[in-house]
Amino acid sequence: MPINFQEVYAHIREIGLGARQRRQALDERRALARQLIEAFDGELDLLRAKVDAAKAADANLRCAVPLTEPLASSHPLPGAAIDAVLLAADGSQILPDRHAAVQFGLVNVGAIVMKSNSGAPPQVHTESRLLFDHELYTETGSVTQDDIEFSRDIAERKKLLELAKDHTGTLIALTDGPVEIWGAKSADEGEYQRTLTEHKSILSQLQSRGAIVAGYVDKPGADLLVRLLELTRLDPDQMKDVRRQHPLRGVTDRWIFSGILKSRERSAVFALQSSSRVRYTGSLSLHFFYLNVGGERHPSIVRVEIPEWVAKDESKLDLLHAALIQQCQAMGARPYPYILHRAHEIAVVSFEEKRQIEQMLQAEQLRNDEELDSISAKQSAKNLAGRTRSK
Amino acid sequence: MTHEIIGHLLSAGTTQFTVGCSVSQLNVPSFGALVRAPLGEGYQVYGLIHDIHIDDDGLVRQLVTADNVSEEVMRDNRERRIVPVEMSVLAVGYEQDGRIFHLLPPRPPLSLDVIYLCDRKDTARFTERFGYFRHILNAKDLPIGEVLAAHIQQAQSAREDKSWKDRATQEAITLLRDDYPTLMAVLGALGEVV
Repeated sequence: MPINFQEVYAHIREIGLGARQRRQALDERRALARQLIEAFDGELDLLRAKVDAAKAADANLRCAVPLTEPLASSHPLPGAAIDAVLLAADGSQILPDRHAAVQFGLVNVGAIVMKSNSGAPPQVHTESRLLFDHELYTETGSVTQDDIEFSRDIAERKKLLELAKDHTGTLIALTDGPVEIWGAKSADEGEYQRTLTEHKSILSQLQSRGAIVAGYVDKPGADLLVRLLELTRLDPDQMKDVRRQHPLRGVTDRWIFSGILKSRERSAVFALQSSSRVRYTGSLSLHFFYLNVGGERHPSIVRVEIPEWVAKDESKLDLLHAALIQQCQAMGARPYPYILHRAHEIAVVSFEEKRQIEQMLQAEQLRNDEELDSISAKQSAKNLAGRTRSK
Repeated sequence: MTHEIIGHLLSAGTTQFTVGCSVSQLNVPSFGALVRAPLGEGYQVYGLIHDIHIDDDGLVRQLVTADNVSEEVMRDNRERRIVPVEMSVLAVGYEQDGRIFHLLPPRPPLSLDVIYLCDRKDTARFTERFGYFRHILNAKDLPIGEVLAAHIQQAQSAREDKSWKDRATQEAITLLRDDYPTLMAVLGALGEVV
């Protein structure tokens, strides 16, 4: 038996017994969050001072920083359908597997260009870069998962820039997830810095073309407004240990904005306080707003990350707001930008495709009398068919 | 002779084969049309389209729940996404070295073989005799009357002999004389075109 279900079930029963208590605690925290929003709705200077104090204690603090609008302000869907060129890119990868018979990696980027209200079919693009032999090594060892993911992330952004150069008019360039490229702890610092420099260069070029750049975060988990509200509850001593202070734990930004934003409305724009603040500065500094892409009965709150040059331009914000709502409506009952889904669909590498590349590589090696490796004994054992019952 | 490609072979057996095409090619083939698969060395297989099928997928299922589907999204799904139209074809004969046989083909077409729509000349040659009717009438899983009616209508328009439709109907009646229920179904459908 793969899982000790009796043990798991006993724990599930315990979870059930604690439900009422958890609900009560969450209700209390939610009530507190509501009070804090009311109390600090327009206290923007005070809130920014709180962020500065917390930042001094922990520079990596992640929270919302209010700009000029009250916390609970909202903006209705602006105007009618927009005419814009929407660009989206997504990537996927095959990581080298030392248990496989042949060592290779792949970075695959799918991109799509869609002219809204044109009636024209979108253009789709795929770029696949195979990594083999020396491309699988760094100066000090082998390429890591983070290295390949950096390559994928930067390839997505390069593709967006390339497509932006080919089009004129109002350009809206979308990626799934935050705008920022994350540097994982295991990543090679030098490689990360190179990727970051390239990314910032791409963003600046997109800015100079007047493009509206945005990262779409579905079901956001970073409760940035909640974290800001938590700061208002901390005394100076607690502020020194801000990372461990979570008086509103369990309350989410999604819950808060479900109660503030009506269908298709967006929130105020906030600046993002995070470790990225030292990396993305000036017009590239990161901002965000929340957007209710759901209906009246079923709010669906997403976070939209944008650079400063978009955040500070009301007309760009309106265009982005309208375009995202239009894209989400195209997907019917489960709102998500159609163009991002299509970019993912174009980019994703299936298991079958991976197997085909493996076979093509092996065939080429055989044709050229190259030595072939075999899969590991461990992988071979894993590939064995499970026990089946004969009829 | 025109060469209108309707698609490429997806799968095949002796009695039937399946052809795939993109949605943008769908204006060429039609239900009941006579098609051919030239396989080289004077050999080609003939068949009748008896089903045109378009599969859905998860995205399409979700898109139909939207209040309205924009032209861009519709064309993306029809022209850019990999959603092949599948046509099922009943094998009704073959040609070898210029001679037409209304028998099952000795070997089926292979994967990705190009399938053409028969032009007027091909159709006229293949429908000279009615031997291939038995393949249609024996295919009990198919809507026999509908396939035959659609085929007779299309074949007649390719032929100069205006009595061909009446002779074809008479042939169907003769072949089905011992199968009253099927005969009634076939005559019901033929009544729409004769």
